[in-house]
Amino acid sequence: MTSPHFPHTDTPSAQLAGVSLSYAEGASVLNGLDWQLLPGQVVGLLGRNGAGKTTLLETLLGLREPQSGSVKVFGQDATRRDDATRARIGYVPQQNDLFQGFTAAQLLAYFRSFYPRWNEARVEGLLSRWEIPRDRPIRKLSGGQQQRLSIIRALAHEPDLLVLDEPVASLDPVGRRDFLRELVDQVLDRGTTVVFSTHILSDLERVAFNLAFLSRGRIALQAPLDELLEQVRAFTGSVTEMASLMARLGAQPLKRTPLEAGRERVLARLPANAALPAGVAADRVNLDDLFAELT
Amino acid sequence: MDPTHFVHINTGSPEPIYRQLIEQVKRRVAAGQLKAGDEIPSVRELAQALAVHPMTISKAYSQLEADGVLERRRGLSMVVAAQHRRAQPTADRVELLRPTLEKAAAEARQLELSSAQVLQLFKTLLDEQAP
Repeated sequence: MTSPHFPHTDTPSAQLAGVSLSYAEGASVLNGLDWQLLPGQVVGLLGRNGAGKTTLLETLLGLREPQSGSVKVFGQDATRRDDATRARIGYVPQQNDLFQGFTAAQLLAYFRSFYPRWNEARVEGLLSRWEIPRDRPIRKLSGGQQQRLSIIRALAHEPDLLVLDEPVASLDPVGRRDFLRELVDQVLDRGTTVVFSTHILSDLERVAFNLAFLSRGRIALQAPLDELLEQVRAFTGSVTEMASLMARLGAQPLKRTPLEAGRERVLARLPANAALPAGVAADRVNLDDLFAELT
Repeated sequence: MDPTHFVHINTGSPEPIYRQLIEQVKRRVAAGQLKAGDEIPSVRELAQALAVHPMTISKAYSQLEADGVLERRRGLSMVVAAQHRRAQPTADRVELLRPTLEKAAAEARQLELSSAQVLQLFKTLLDEQAP
């Protein structure tokens, strides 16, 4: 379910419809996937290892062409976008692709030439604050410094769409917090649309207002995190009890897990103001639970 | 007011961050740590200090405004509302403890502790923190 929180009526920042992609080996990764990112949304992308998160983000960026379906970024076909649209996108890849022989200063000077908008003051501020040597070859920087440099490169041209694929995996907790603050600034100052893929759920909980769960090649669910935490409950009982409970509550199971002895655990949204029948156990869930159940 | 120490949030909780903010501000007002007219951090300041999405902060502030705990001053700053100058009745203040104690009660049941054992621990903790 798509549940846009921002009342924007503008063109979606990105829109994927019926996207299917398989690799040559035959493994299907995306399977008729529909997804929409509205302007100003910060969406956390959740999925297990191997679920296809990186493939999905690369497809959104036009770096991979799907076998079927359409991918539009700012209204343009993702694989055929023009330079002006390209300049509105920032990307931090999972594996940094910085030119290892360049220095940070050379790298940033090179990229600056491609972008009409380039916030030199912010770049300089971040290089200093994050203590990145300007004149040492990138291959001699630590993993964390390289990742920070990759983030600076993605933020320097003040993108309208920021795609983050595990951007903080090599950063310590302080580095991650610094990065999250930059992200908050970006949202405050520019209303940037952000897609943020990470397994560090506490980071997502802070900055992602919406969550998208990637499972079996589709976005199984997209909703505001607050809404999920407040509404979703884990019910446990016999299969027959659960069926009648769901009918009585008018709730759609999000996930059913068989337990021993004819019992099951059902994850469902509890409709607002619905009273729970006596004797029914309904546990609240946190983001870890949602990840485990819905991906 | 220093925004980094205004409230604390726990990630990994079933309680959404905006709810945590609401409960903490209410507790601090009820306890008199925040007084009528006290200016609270702006949405921007608190979002940056906590590294939290600004909409989460504004959602909490709007709810607190609707509940009469905060009010918007001319301009943009939010202050603690005047009707909270008088201390809230005890019953209301006790009610603010409910979310925290509900969680503790559920954990006590999982650990199969008796009410007496749990109450004894709670009493010890209260005594330890007595002014």
